[in-house]
Amino acid sequence: MMLKIENLHASVDGKEILKGIDLTIGAGEVHAIMGPNGSGKSTLSNVIAGRDGYEVTQGSVTYKGMDLLAMLPEERAWAGVFLAFQYPVEIPGVNNTYLLKAGVNASRKHRGEQELDAMEFMQLVKEKAKLVELDQSFLSRGVNEGFSGGEKKRNEIFQMAVLEPSLALLDETDSGLDIDALRIVAKGVNELRAAERSIIMITHYQRLLDYIQPDVVHVLADGKILKTGDKSLALKLEERGYDWVREEAHA
Amino acid sequence: MLNITELQKEAWQSFETSGLPTTRDEDWKYTDLSRLQALLGDKWWQVAATETAVDVTALAIPELDAYRILFINGHFDAAGSNIPTSISFTPLASLMQEKPEKATELIQHQPQAPLNNSIIAANSALASDGACICIADNSHLDKPLYILYLNSGGSNHLRTGIQLGKHAEAEIIEQFSGNHTQAGITTVVTALRLHEGARLEHTRLQMEATKQYHLGRVEVSQQRNSSYTLHSSEVGGLLSRVDIVSQLQEPGATSHLNGLFVASGRQHIDHHTRIDHNAPHCISRENYRSVLDGRAHGVFNGKIVVAKGAVKTDSAQSNANLLLSKEAAIDTKPELEIYNDDVKCAHGVTVGQLDKNQLFYLKSRGLSGEEAKQMLTFAFADEILSKMNHKCVRRFVEKAAFAKLPNITDLEGMLG
Repeated sequence: MMLKIENLHASVDGKEILKGIDLTIGAGEVHAIMGPNGSGKSTLSNVIAGRDGYEVTQGSVTYKGMDLLAMLPEERAWAGVFLAFQYPVEIPGVNNTYLLKAGVNASRKHRGEQELDAMEFMQLVKEKAKLVELDQSFLSRGVNEGFSGGEKKRNEIFQMAVLEPSLALLDETDSGLDIDALRIVAKGVNELRAAERSIIMITHYQRLLDYIQPDVVHVLADGKILKTGDKSLALKLEERGYDWVREEAHA
Repeated sequence: MLNITELQKEAWQSFETSGLPTTRDEDWKYTDLSRLQALLGDKWWQVAATETAVDVTALAIPELDAYRILFINGHFDAAGSNIPTSISFTPLASLMQEKPEKATELIQHQPQAPLNNSIIAANSALASDGACICIADNSHLDKPLYILYLNSGGSNHLRTGIQLGKHAEAEIIEQFSGNHTQAGITTVVTALRLHEGARLEHTRLQMEATKQYHLGRVEVSQQRNSSYTLHSSEVGGLLSRVDIVSQLQEPGATSHLNGLFVASGRQHIDHHTRIDHNAPHCISRENYRSVLDGRAHGVFNGKIVVAKGAVKTDSAQSNANLLLSKEAAIDTKPELEIYNDDVKCAHGVTVGQLDKNQLFYLKSRGLSGEEAKQMLTFAFADEILSKMNHKCVRRFVEKAAFAKLPNITDLEGMLG
């Protein structure tokens, strides 16, 4: 089991956003979580990644048998959890490559592996940059500094490729992408699918799922998973919206 | 005209009449010199240097390919200097003996000057030495001129004057350092005159020993189409106050002032800058940042005065401050005085802590909380240093600045 979320309740500023989430994700699976605005999708990804300001009031999140909620954000990263941000922040002055090298080597150190030297690392980075067709010049720039929206999202997937996580959360990675950028990003993600890597895609739109085929689709609304199905559920949502799921759940 | 002895006597009387500046003076509201006498005694201006040997190699910038003018404990050191033949150089002490009328020009006390204070009068009276330099018209210095003022404490009073002729170009690096552990004081005035079309890149590194007081002043007078760039780094000393006074006298002159303070412990660092736009079509840019830790106190005052006829003035000022501890403090004040309508003047001030979203982003990539803080602190400060021309100078400042901040462990790695 990669991730097991049980009866997760979480609040922001005293307001309950997640109202009892249950979710189980096996190794190598790709899950899509869809839902309307304000349903708690981003709260869920932030709670998993460990951002401050989210208070878990009930329930548990178990990752590879560990109590994820007891871990610091960086400890989660070392253990293989990765969040591709919906709005990647710009960090002028911090070199993109330097950040990744520090990140990769921190994880290696915590796994008891030898740190990569500069040469090995540059080789790794160049290879992975090709995966998302990221120009080499981006590597030496400040993190996301002056990147367009599409470039920022590609940079997130590039970082995922370099950091090789076990569990990747893609928070609305498709938003703000034109069709060409979406294709490139999706191709990158597909190449990163692996038997030991699980992926959670959070999205509004079915569109992304045309390019990245999920094994399981969940509907998150009003802080709960209301329905779970296969890919056909996403198509049904696209066609009919979310209200019927709500009605069904309340029936 | 007064002779040099009379001039110095008069300057001293002027100092004695007013005494040290106090926090009751508006310009000295945040910088308190009252402990100076407690630390150095009633005659703080004439304390002898300590026995500590001045280690030039240890204090100087490694690998800098430059001409060098060395001062040790307030006196020119010919043996440690390497002066280019293309400039005219005389130590102030020699000038006072040989051409006293020239020396009076440089050390003359001007009570009407902006940000005037009694320390400058004291410096006029006490200046023992300094560099008097003329760079001829159209002369381009092929290497930086590195003026190194080292001391082993005590009282040092220096006055340097540099004149760049028409279309002359030069790069000057002034550094103030010491490695003693006793209290001491440096007073210094650097007067710069840029004639038409001259270009000067001026790096000023204040890296005094930990108990040194540093009271400095840079006066720049600029003529038509001249360009002046300052990179000022404040890292050392117990208390440092530097006034930068820039006079844009003729059209087309440009002044860029870049400043960085990195202070920890109980350090106090104050820069008052004053830019006078006295002529039309001049440009000034000012970018100051501070990183303050421990109980450090920073002061930044940036005053820009645009005279009545100085139309098409283009001026921008920015001051950003990062406070790493709850006890650190900054007093910052932009001041604009504009006497005509046809100008562009922008200014902005920020005071803050590290950005939470940036911290979380770095941690989510596997950096520990401490590493993430270091990296963001470094990036914040380094933006100022990235404007420096010479990598070895930049590295030197980075090392001195960040070695004193907590938890900077992988400096070499970050510097790449």
